[in-house]
Amino acid sequence: MQEFSRRNFIKVVGAGSAVALTGIGCAPQKTRNNGKAHVVVVGGGSGGATAAKYLKKYSPDVEVTLVEPSATYYTCYGSNWVLGGIVDMDFIEQTYGALESRHGVKVVQDRVTAVDAEDRSVRLGNGDTLRYDRLVMSPGIDFRYDAVDGISEDDAERIPHAWKAGDQTRILRQQLEEMPNGGTFVMVAPPNPFRCPPGPYERVSLIANYFKQEKPRSKIIILDAKDGFSKQGLFEEGWEQEYGDMIEWRAASDGGLVEAVDVRNMTAIADAGFEEVQADVMNFIPRQHANRIAHDAGLTNGEGWCPVHQDTFRSEMDDNIYVLGDASVAGAMPKSGHSANTQGKVVAAAIAHELTDREPVSPTAVNTCYSLVTPDYGISVAAVYRFKDGEMQGVEGAGGLSPTGADSRTREQEAQYTRGWYAGITADIWG
Amino acid sequence: MKKSRLTFAGLVGAVALTVPFAQASADDEITRGQLMADTCINCHSAASAEAGGAPDLSRYPSDLIVSQMKAFRDGDRPATVMDRHASGYTDEEIEAMAAYFGQ
Repeated sequence: MQEFSRRNFIKVVGAGSAVALTGIGCAPQKTRNNGKAHVVVVGGGSGGATAAKYLKKYSPDVEVTLVEPSATYYTCYGSNWVLGGIVDMDFIEQTYGALESRHGVKVVQDRVTAVDAEDRSVRLGNGDTLRYDRLVMSPGIDFRYDAVDGISEDDAERIPHAWKAGDQTRILRQQLEEMPNGGTFVMVAPPNPFRCPPGPYERVSLIANYFKQEKPRSKIIILDAKDGFSKQGLFEEGWEQEYGDMIEWRAASDGGLVEAVDVRNMTAIADAGFEEVQADVMNFIPRQHANRIAHDAGLTNGEGWCPVHQDTFRSEMDDNIYVLGDASVAGAMPKSGHSANTQGKVVAAAIAHELTDREPVSPTAVNTCYSLVTPDYGISVAAVYRFKDGEMQGVEGAGGLSPTGADSRTREQEAQYTRGWYAGITADIWG
Repeated sequence: MKKSRLTFAGLVGAVALTVPFAQASADDEITRGQLMADTCINCHSAASAEAGGAPDLSRYPSDLIVSQMKAFRDGDRPATVMDRHASGYTDEEIEAMAAYFGQ
């Protein structure tokens, strides 16, 4: 008879009678397949791919299956560089070969159509069922077109959002290339919270850079659902210096809040109908919430995002499910690729420790969001996070923005670090 | 090298204090120092260094990481972003993550 440590007990009981354990206290079940845990990760973006890779690193014995519908993933970060003509689409293309061959992650190219939390299984588009001991959800966002009249997801070819990179990025780039010199590009920017807070403003920066070179008589108008935005002082300083009066930003309270879009006439209607802005190219970035699979799985709150215990990113709704990345409510952490990447490591460590019955390691997380104002002009916001009073909070005295009024050498250095950041983080996630 | 090794030995002691000793099995324990160090390498790997970005910390001795992080934090070394990161860590945390890199 073998000795019964608590760890062995769980393995043995898990193998013999999975149901029995749920009756013991309220601790979630560990494993049920001969003690070898199976973790299913939903979503191969920055959060999911990091969690999968680091789970294998921290816990090589755990079986990890990553479910992602696309064979190639286009990072949302860097997609503004494509729109500005600095890089081609293949620059932001990531694949899953290294996760499989180098790190031992099983990658299934399919879509999760349903989560059965009680049965601890997910159903795939091909009809298969995958059972899990722990589920990691990193499903990203979906759009809410219901806040603005006259436009729906069906209009995304004529008026792209380009806020999930890929075909949408290509469509918007092509429209910008076809736009005549002297045309007007209108961006409708979303309300908080949304994926990549500085993203819309980097986007107009790099489109302005393209216009300045190729179509200098053109105009850019941002109609914003907000009265302020990320890195605002830095962006406005850069816009004035680099692009003069090409870019006009209208705050929500100053006629920027779009209530309807006339898709046929490419016109945004704001300010109770008093303001009509016609575009040659329009980029409508809708209000956002967690991806619908998270809603269907019952993991969202009233605002449409997924509340989690922020020290581990375990769902508040289900002890066997972890949610990270843009879909999660993560305290002070922005919805960024870097946040998702660092959360992926926190989740991987939390699951690795939990499955072997050890106390979770106190989480630590960081974020650095670089933005390009021109290809040689970079700015950043950074933060270090700790779990405090129930949520991830920025460490006081740390983090913050690049300085305003910095010299061109500093901006060039940050632009160089922006490129290094992209190479580094994508290698860390998919390499 | 001798100095570096001495520093390292001291740091291992510091790290051990932060985790319950009974759990510290060598092969699969994830220490806070490791988790913190793993949040550095998305910007500080061979890939980022090759692209002209931040240096590859896996090639740095731990005492150099400690001295430079403290210099960034205390304003003794100018930086674009590392001053903003380094201010987020205590001496003990800097030493714990540097110890992991120095392994």
